[in-house]
Amino acid sequence: MSLHDQDDPALRCAQEERLRAVWAAPKGIFLKWTDCNNDAVGAWYVLTGFVFMLFAGVLGLLMRAQLAVPENDLIGPATFNQLFTLHGSMMMFLFAVPMFEAVSIILLPQLLGARDLPFPRLSAFGYWSFLLGGVFVGGSILFNAAPDGGWFMYPPLTTRTDLSGIGADIWMLGLSFIEVSSIAAAVELIVGVLKCRPPGMRLNLMPLYAWYILVVAVMILFAFPPLIAGDVLFEMERLLNWPFFDATRGGDPLLWQHLFWIFGHPEVYIVFLPSIALFAMLVPTFARRHLLGYPWIVLAAVGTAFLSFGLWVHHMFTTGLPKISLGFFSAASEAVTIPTAVQIFVFIATLWAGRVNWSTPLLYATGSLGVFVIGGLTGVMVAVAPFDWQAHDTYFVVAHLHYVLIGGTLLPLFAGLYYYWPLITGKKLSDRLGRLAFWILFAGVNLCFFPMHLSGLMGMPRRVFTYPEELGLGDLNMASTAGAFLFAAGVAVICLDMCLSPRRPLANRNPWNAGTLEWLAHPQDEHWGIRSIPLIESRYPIWDQPDFMRKVDEGRYFLPDAEEGRRETIVTSVIDARPLAVIRLGTPAWVPMLTAFALGSVFILTTYHLYGLALIGSVLTLACVVWWLWTGTAEIPEKPFKPIGHGLELPLYISGRSAPGWWAMFITMMADATAFSGLVFGYYFFWTRHETFPPMALADGPGWFWPMVALLAGGVSWLLTLAARSANSRGATGAMALLLTGAMLAALGSGAAGLAGPWLSGLNPEAHSYPAIVWTLTLWTVAHAGLAVIMQAYVLARGLAGRMTARHDADIRNVTLFMHFFVLSVVVTYATIGLFPEVS
Amino acid sequence: MSDPAPRKWEHRLRITLWVLIVPPTSWAAHFLFSYLWAAISCAKTGHFATMPWLFIGGTVLALAVIALAGWVAWHQSRTPGDPPPHQESTRIDRLRFLATATLLLAALSTVGVIFTALPVVFLRECT
Amino acid sequence: MRYAILLACLLAAACNTHQSALAPFGVEAGETRTLTLVMALAALGLAAITFALYFRAVRAPEGSLSHKGGMKLVLWMGAIVPTVLLAGLLLYALPAMRPMDSAPGDLEIRVEGEQFWWRVIYNPQDTQGRLVDANEIRIPTGRTVVFTLAAHDVVHSFWIPGLAGKMDMIPGRENRLVVKATKPGRYRGVCAELCGLAHALMAFEVVAMEPVAFDSWLAEQRTGTAAPPKDSRGARLFAREGCGACHAIRGTEHTGQIGPDLTRYAHRRSLGAGTLEPTLTNTAAFIRAPQDLKPGARMPTYTDLSREEALAIARYLKGRE
Repeated sequence: MSLHDQDDPALRCAQEERLRAVWAAPKGIFLKWTDCNNDAVGAWYVLTGFVFMLFAGVLGLLMRAQLAVPENDLIGPATFNQLFTLHGSMMMFLFAVPMFEAVSIILLPQLLGARDLPFPRLSAFGYWSFLLGGVFVGGSILFNAAPDGGWFMYPPLTTRTDLSGIGADIWMLGLSFIEVSSIAAAVELIVGVLKCRPPGMRLNLMPLYAWYILVVAVMILFAFPPLIAGDVLFEMERLLNWPFFDATRGGDPLLWQHLFWIFGHPEVYIVFLPSIALFAMLVPTFARRHLLGYPWIVLAAVGTAFLSFGLWVHHMFTTGLPKISLGFFSAASEAVTIPTAVQIFVFIATLWAGRVNWSTPLLYATGSLGVFVIGGLTGVMVAVAPFDWQAHDTYFVVAHLHYVLIGGTLLPLFAGLYYYWPLITGKKLSDRLGRLAFWILFAGVNLCFFPMHLSGLMGMPRRVFTYPEELGLGDLNMASTAGAFLFAAGVAVICLDMCLSPRRPLANRNPWNAGTLEWLAHPQDEHWGIRSIPLIESRYPIWDQPDFMRKVDEGRYFLPDAEEGRRETIVTSVIDARPLAVIRLGTPAWVPMLTAFALGSVFILTTYHLYGLALIGSVLTLACVVWWLWTGTAEIPEKPFKPIGHGLELPLYISGRSAPGWWAMFITMMADATAFSGLVFGYYFFWTRHETFPPMALADGPGWFWPMVALLAGGVSWLLTLAARSANSRGATGAMALLLTGAMLAALGSGAAGLAGPWLSGLNPEAHSYPAIVWTLTLWTVAHAGLAVIMQAYVLARGLAGRMTARHDADIRNVTLFMHFFVLSVVVTYATIGLFPEVS
Repeated sequence: MSDPAPRKWEHRLRITLWVLIVPPTSWAAHFLFSYLWAAISCAKTGHFATMPWLFIGGTVLALAVIALAGWVAWHQSRTPGDPPPHQESTRIDRLRFLATATLLLAALSTVGVIFTALPVVFLRECT
Repeated sequence: MRYAILLACLLAAACNTHQSALAPFGVEAGETRTLTLVMALAALGLAAITFALYFRAVRAPEGSLSHKGGMKLVLWMGAIVPTVLLAGLLLYALPAMRPMDSAPGDLEIRVEGEQFWWRVIYNPQDTQGRLVDANEIRIPTGRTVVFTLAAHDVVHSFWIPGLAGKMDMIPGRENRLVVKATKPGRYRGVCAELCGLAHALMAFEVVAMEPVAFDSWLAEQRTGTAAPPKDSRGARLFAREGCGACHAIRGTEHTGQIGPDLTRYAHRRSLGAGTLEPTLTNTAAFIRAPQDLKPGARMPTYTDLSREEALAIARYLKGRE
C-alpha cells in the first residue's frame, strides 16, 4: 500500500496547509458561532447539556432539603411541584438524550474515520434549537412559571386551564421544540453510521459504539413522534378547547398516558444504551483485548430496542386496564431483562479473558454497573404487577429509577468523561481527584436512594411536598437528604478536576493504548477530523493494522487533500462500506442558527397566545429553510468525478437510494409517519371507548364523499409527481414543469376537499372528542398537502433555474419519496374518517 | 472473491440488515396483535377473547416466521471459513456475523413470543 | 448496614403499622408482602453472584478464560439462567394478578376522589342502605368488600398500603378493587397520584371492624341519630354562611354535594382529609382560612367570620353544644 507521492514531505505539508485552511474555524467574536464543525458544535452541546444537568441537580437538592424532616415548611407546594416537574423533565429532555447526541456528534465522525457527519449544518441547527428551548423551559422556574404537573403531565390536571397555568404550555411547546432537534440529531446519526463509514468497515467491523448509536437513533425515530402526536392533541385541548382528554365530552385521560408512555419507556433505553456503548469502548481498552461476543452485543442492542416498545403499559398497571393486557406487558418487561443480562456478562467475560488495567474510567464503569444491577433487579420486581400495585407512584419507584438512571446514564457518562477527556483536550484528568469523586458519588447514591426503597413500601407516595411525622419516615428521609448532598459534593469534585485541567501537562496521544479509530485524534486537534480516510481491515485497527497511525497521518490512505478548497468526506455503501462518492459538506453559516431561532419563535410565541406573531415566525422559518436548501444542498459539482488516491475515482454527485440526502428524507418521513400513526391510534382508541361510534348525535361524521375526493386528488398528485420525475430523467424539462404544476393543483384540491368533509357537515370540534379527532387527522393531512405543494414548487423552481438536471436530480427524487409517504397518509386518513363510520 | 455456486435457496438468500430485524419484528407484530386483540375484545364485549383460535394461529405464525429466519441464519452462520470471532473484512465474515446475530435474535424473539403467550394461558381476566 | 435496617424493619413488621405495605392487614397486601420478600431475597442473591463473578473476572490472570469459555459464560449466565428464572417468576406472578373473587351480595363502597378529599358512599346501588360519608372508610374484617373508584376533576389514586395495592381514580372511568381485611384496627390511606397543590395532604382513615360491630355501626348510621343538634348558634351561622351549599349534614336541610359530608365530623380523627388534628381551634381556623392550613384547598375563605363565630360553627360540627 505504498503511494510514492505521499513520500514527499513537501507535498504532505502543502496538503496539510490546504486541509487546515478548508477546515479552519471561523474567527471573531460573532462569527465563531456560525461554526458547524462537529468538534465545535459537539463541545457546545456537551457543555450546555452539562450545565442543564447541574441546574436540574440543584432543583433536586432543594427538594431533598424540603423533605429532610417531616412537616417541613421550607418550600411550599406551589414551588415544590415545579421543582420535581422541572427536575425530571430537564434531566430527561435537556440532559440525558441531548447528552448522548452531543457526545455522539463529537465521537462518531472520529470513530468512523469521517471528516465530519454528513449534515454539519443540521447539527448546528439542532444545537441552537436545544439551547433556545432549554433556556426557555429551564428558565421558567425563575419566573415562578414552570410546569407543575409532574414530568409526565397527566391530564386533566394539566389540560384544564383553571387548574394549571402557562407552565403546562411551556412544557408542551418548549419540549416539542426540543424533540424536533432530537429527531434532527437522530437523522444525522443514522445517516452517519450507515453511509459515512470508512472503506472496508463492513457491518461486522463497526465499532460497537456505532452499533448502539444506530439502534438508539432508530429508537428515537419511533419513540419521540408518539409524544409529538400527544403534544399536538394536548395543545389543541389547552389552546382551542378540543376535548381529547375531557371525559365529560367523550375524551379520555388515558389516551395521553398511552401516547406518553409509548414514548416514555423506550426513552429509558434511549438514555441507557449509549452509556453501555461507552462501556463497550472502554472495557476492551482496559481488558487489553478484543471485546468477546461482538454479535451478542448486537443482539442485545437490537433486542432491547424492540422489546422496549412493548413495555409502556407497565407504567399504567394501576389504571384499571384489563388484567390480560397487564399480563402481556408484564411478560415483555421480564423478557427485556435477558438482553441486559447478556451485555453485563459480555463485559464480565471480556474482563475475565483479558489482563485488566485498573484505571479510573474502569472504576467508574464498575461502580455504575454495580448501581445499575441493583436498579435492574428492582426493575424486575416492579415488572411484576401485584408488586407494582404497591410500589407504583411511591418512593420505591423513585429509588428504582434513580438507580437505573444514575447507574445506567450518569456514572457511565462520568466514566466516559475520564476516558475521553484526553481525546478532547489532550490532557488527562487527575486520577486522585477522580477516584476521590467516585467514592463520594458511590456512597452518596446509595445513601440517598437505598433508603427510598423502604420509605416507599412504608407508605410514602411520590411527589409529596411533605409527610406526617407519625409515619416514622423522618430518619430514612434524613439519610436520603444527606446522601443527595454527598452526591452533589462528588459532582463538585469532578467539576474542580475539570477546572484544574488547563494547568496540567499534555498527555501522550492515545494515552490509554486503545485500539479504535477515535484515538487517531491528535492532542492538539486539527479541525479536519482525520488526515486521510483509512482502509479498515479489523475491529481494532490501531492494534491490528501495522503502521496504521503513521499511514493515516502521512496521508497514505484516501482523500488526503482538499484541492478544490471544499470540505469533503467519503460516502460508502450500507452493508459492506464500498466507497460510492465524495460529498461536499456544509460550511459555517448563519442559516442554521437563524432557522432554529425562527422555529423557536413559533413555539414560544404560541405559548403566549401571540398567534399573529407566531404566524410571522412560521413564514420566516419557511423562508430560512428554503434559503438553506437552495444555497446549500444538491449543488451541481464543477466536475463529475474526483480521484481520492490509490487509483480510485469517485463521483461528486449522487442521488436516490445511495445518497445521504435520500436517507435523511426517508428517516424524517419515518418519524413523521410514526407521529401520524399516533393520531390514528387516537381515532381508534376513541372507537373502543364508545358504545356507538361515531356517537349517535354526530352519526354522519364527514360523510364519505368529500374524503374520497380528497383521497383521489392526493393519489393523482402522487402519480403526477412520479411522472414528473421520469420526465426529468428523460431531460424533458417542459413536460416536467407541466406535470409538476398539475401535481400542485391536485395537492391543493386534495387539501380543499379534505377540509370540505368536516366543514360542510358542520362538525364542531369543541363539542366532542369524535369531531375533534376527525378534524385533527384532516388538518394533519391537509398540512402535508400544503407541504407537498411547497416542495413541488421548489423542485419546479430548481428545474427552471437549472439547478436540477436529468443527471443531477436529487431534489425531485427526495420529493418523490415525500410523496410516497404523503399518499400513504392520505389513504389512511380519508379511509378512516370517510369509510370506517360506514362499516363500524 | 467468488462465492461457490449456491445450492439451495437458504444459501442464496443473503442476510442483510433487513433480515436481521425479521425475528424481532415478528415478536413486535405478535405482541401488538395480542394486545390489540385482547384490548378490543375486552372493550367491546366486556369479556376475554371471543376468538382464541385467532390468537393460537397468530402465535404459531409468529413462531414459524422466527423459526424460518433462524433456520436460514443457522445455515449461513455455518458458511465455511475461519472460526469465530468473525472479524475479517471479508464478505464471508460479514455474512457469518450477520447470520449469527440473526440467529441470536431469533432465539430471543422465540422467548419473547412464548412469554407473551403465557398470560393467555394463565390469566384471562378482563377486569 | 442497610440490609440490617431492612431486616430490622421487616422483623418489627415495619416501622409504622398503619400505613405500610410491610405491615399488612388485608389478604392481598399480605400475599404481596410475601412476594416482595421472595423477590427481594432473590434479587440480593443475584446481585451478590453477579458482583462476585465481576471481581473474579477482574482479578483473573490474562487468558484464564478462552474465547469458547467466555461464550459459554455469556450463553449460560447472560441468556439461559435469566430466561429460566424469569419464566419461573412469570408463572408465579401471572396467576397472582387475578382479582379476588367477589359475589353479588358483597358490601360495595364507592369512593370518589376530589381535589383534595374523598367521598365515601356505602351501598351506592341500594337506595335504602345508601350512606354518604367523607374521608373515613369503615370495613368489616373477614368479608369481601368491593370498592368502586371514580373521580370527577383530575386523576387520583386510591392506596391503602396495608390492605391492598393502589388503584387509580380516573375521570370518565370506573375501577374496581376487591379487598378483604383480616385484622381489626385503625389504618391510613393516601392519594398516590399527583392531583394538584395539596396532593400531599389528601389522606383518609380506614377502620377495619369486627363484622358484628360493623353491621351495628352501619345500622346506627342509617337511623340518622348521629346528626348534631339543629338549633344552636353554630347551626344558625352554618346556615347563614351558606355552608350547606357545599356540605351536607344528614337530618338537616343542608344537602350540598360539592364538599365533604359533615354529618360524622365529630367522630373523625382528622381535619382536611388527614391534614390536621380536628380540635376546636383547628376547625375554627380551617373554616376561616382553609388555604393557610391546606394549600390549594378548594373551600373559599371566610375571613369575614370572627374567630368567635368560627368557633361556634366548629362547636356545632363537633356536636359540643
